[in-house]
Amino acid sequence: MPKNITIYTTNTCAYCGMVKKWLTIKGHTYEEVNLDASPERTQEALEVSGQLAVPVTVVTKQDDSKEVIVGYNLSKLAPAVA
Amino acid sequence: MDDEHTANQAAVGLLAKDELSDAPKPVLEPKSRTPEGFVVHDVIMIGAGPASLAAAVYTTREDIETVIYEKGVIGGMAATTDWIDNYPGFPDGISGLELSDNLRRQAERFGARIELADVTNIERGDKHIKIVTTDGDQYARAVLIATGSDYKKLDVPGELTYYARGVHYCATCDGAFYRDKKIVVVGGGNSAVQEALFLTRYVTHIDLLVRSKLRASDILIHQLEKNDKITVHIGTTTDEIIGNGKFVEKVIGTDTLKDKKVEFITDGVFVMVGLLPNTQFLKGTKLQLDGTGFIKTDKDLQTDIKGVFAAGDVRSGATMQIASAVGEGATAALRIREYLES
Repeated sequence: MPKNITIYTTNTCAYCGMVKKWLTIKGHTYEEVNLDASPERTQEALEVSGQLAVPVTVVTKQDDSKEVIVGYNLSKLAPAVA
Repeated sequence: MDDEHTANQAAVGLLAKDELSDAPKPVLEPKSRTPEGFVVHDVIMIGAGPASLAAAVYTTREDIETVIYEKGVIGGMAATTDWIDNYPGFPDGISGLELSDNLRRQAERFGARIELADVTNIERGDKHIKIVTTDGDQYARAVLIATGSDYKKLDVPGELTYYARGVHYCATCDGAFYRDKKIVVVGGGNSAVQEALFLTRYVTHIDLLVRSKLRASDILIHQLEKNDKITVHIGTTTDEIIGNGKFVEKVIGTDTLKDKKVEFITDGVFVMVGLLPNTQFLKGTKLQLDGTGFIKTDKDLQTDIKGVFAAGDVRSGATMQIASAVGEGATAALRIREYLES
């Protein structure tokens, strides 16, 4: 179980909704950074992922290591939050 | 545009509220098993876009137990479309996200079950159809393939190199990174023009590169003509995307009317140049596809594999309209019912 999960999203991004939905189904809680509501954090999302895309999911594990997943990719999300 | 933004936020609100709801949803139970004891579903639908969600409303209301597999976004391409103005019944239009969520909730209301997993193969057995998924093998009496389509790539140098670092295929996903920036949109159809209009909420200017001529509907072309943030370049091909190693810096094209190379300094490129069917997972099957990979069906939407139907954008001859996909979904459901009763 991860220590915490942060997701960078936008209002119109359908894939962002899917990541949130999947995490909720799997029983995980997360902090959401909505880039439409907080455009000043857009650069932060870019620096975290190196990509100009959302959703960006940052999984902080129990040992404080971080895993960054860009997009709605269950083959990467599932092991990252296990 | 403000109204659209508000509507999108409302759609997201609806989604979030529903996600967090503990209200039980009725789910129809499977009625039979294989001789080995595996559950046999009445129908498995592959892809949770408008075609299968509409089909599921019809099948579940007939007490046909229905499971839908989705590997991407519920609602498919419709969910990634900012605003839908041509779906009947919504006189003021509706956001793609909200329409998708409405379709999902309606299908679930009657007992459809949506599983978030990928289907990698289907095999016709003597009595049942085996569906191979990333969550294990499943069995069904009938299958509806409604996996839709995805945006074509340009297939030019730099496109793959700068994917998600300046090259994008989803404006509603990635547009927010281009606030106060200058971009290129490639394409001349409804999707390209609509996405370009959507992106004007973020950017300072858009060069719209249209290879031959605008093929968008007149109403979109009128909106385009009125928008002073967009410059349309008719007869302009996109030949190469060039960057600095990290991000996109410019697009090289050809003005075919003047037969000369042209250059567009840009922060990003959004590509909407047509659609390809999501049928790669069928390569191991004997299911008949047309020359571009769309699924061939008969007039009853049945493929050449008994009990396997197809509907929506993935079907050969589809019109690529949400309204058509929903209609095909309803038709497929009724044909599946007849098949299951035969």
